[in-house]
Amino acid sequence: MIFFKNVTKYYDDQPVLKNIDLSVTKGEMVFLTGPTGAGKSTLLKLLYAAELPDEGELLVGDWHIGNLSPSEIPMLRRSMGVVFQDFKLLDNLTVYDNIALALRVRGRKEKEIKGSVLEALRNVHLRHKADNFPPTLSGGEQQRVVIARALVSEPSVLLADEPTGNLDPDTSSHIAKLFYEANIHGTTVLIATHNRDLYRNTGRRVIRLDSGMLLGQEIG
Amino acid sequence: MEHLSYSTRTAIQSLVKEKWINLLSSLTVAASLLVSVMAVITIYNVEIFTRNLPEKFTMVVYLNDKISQDDVGKLMAQLKAKDYAAGAKFISSDAALAELKRTLKGISNIIEGLDENPLSSAIELKLKKERVNASSVKIISGDIRKLPGVEDVYYEARIAETVSLLKTSVENLSLIVLCMIIFVVLFVISSTVKILFYRRKAEIEIIKLLGATGGFIRLPFLIEGGAIGFLGGLFAAFGAAAFYFILTTKFSAFMPILRTMVMPAEIIILMPLVGVAIGVAGALISVGRLRL
Repeated sequence: MIFFKNVTKYYDDQPVLKNIDLSVTKGEMVFLTGPTGAGKSTLLKLLYAAELPDEGELLVGDWHIGNLSPSEIPMLRRSMGVVFQDFKLLDNLTVYDNIALALRVRGRKEKEIKGSVLEALRNVHLRHKADNFPPTLSGGEQQRVVIARALVSEPSVLLADEPTGNLDPDTSSHIAKLFYEANIHGTTVLIATHNRDLYRNTGRRVIRLDSGMLLGQEIG
Repeated sequence: MEHLSYSTRTAIQSLVKEKWINLLSSLTVAASLLVSVMAVITIYNVEIFTRNLPEKFTMVVYLNDKISQDDVGKLMAQLKAKDYAAGAKFISSDAALAELKRTLKGISNIIEGLDENPLSSAIELKLKKERVNASSVKIISGDIRKLPGVEDVYYEARIAETVSLLKTSVENLSLIVLCMIIFVVLFVISSTVKILFYRRKAEIEIIKLLGATGGFIRLPFLIEGGAIGFLGGLFAAFGAAAFYFILTTKFSAFMPILRTMVMPAEIIILMPLVGVAIGVAGALISVGRLRL
């Protein structure tokens, strides 16, 4: 499903990822961990083609990242749900419309969108905030909106960058449950996190990154 | 279809949110289109005015003094058969003299002393409207001069030349004005849309990350460009109607010719549509080239 072969990425001639070799099979749930600046976010950005690899080969499904044409990039992104660390919510749209946007770009019908969005909102316990605008929500609530937006399209790959960074332990465990549920339904999940509680005793693969290098992996 | 509904809503939201820049842009478009309407109305009225001029145009074919009645008949038939002829009338030398005497009433004693009629018989030839232009008339007169029994051909060259000159000058000038205005309107709309695009740049980056295609991102801007053009066209239509009303009612007292001015209703109806077309084209110029 996801296949890194000798992937290197530079920012201003400085390597932020060095010779990454990694593969994630379809339906797997994997955690990426490591200190700040380890390259976790960059690794995820490569997967949704916000950045392109400078060296090596990167495959996501049938998509050959690095050789994508401009018209293929949206198609790749539509197969994914992404939980961005900085949320990337549109302040001028309501919570409902922010989540609906993920389906609108995919050309879904409004009737279908309504049902899916309301269900996604219920799953993150924010049904009552549907008509609110993001700036009126707390950090934790905004994070849950982002998670709802990432899951609403039932993507084949879910990428999450510090998804529980702004959440209290109870909400974190609820959100983790949502990721596990998505994984049970066949979604391949890749989560970059500092939060050990998220992967401890899960039996899932935990990959350690530091200074752009893969240090090793263990079972959480 | 789903995209269209979302894009229309986004465009309307942006039109309202950025109302001042959009209004300013629409008014600039309106002013430009108003000038173009005037150019079109000028062409239209010059066309009507010049359409009647050829009817007044006559070519006089002077006949040889020795021509027989039979030959006059044959010549008349020949002229009437020509594809440029709209009608021909024979004027005998006696009738011409009588007409001259009538014209010179009071001073007719000038010609009283003449022993014989100095005037020639002639054929007054009317040409088809479309043939009344400087170059065509010249060719026709040359053609008639070659016919047997024809002494000379006379015509009022100025009418034919005026018709041609007036039509060509007004059409060329109006065409230049129209081209310049279309360019100005395209520039105004494409600049406005570009500003709106850059104001929404952060938002567009997010939409792209969610998987939006270039078409999905561009469509609201095309709708917005069309809407700005439509509003501009609508303002221009109202402006043109008001201008026409003022010209034909208030100013016609000083310039009576303005009373005959005509403004076709189609122009008023077409203005908003022309605005939409130019608006969409302007937006396409600005966002069509952007790499998304």
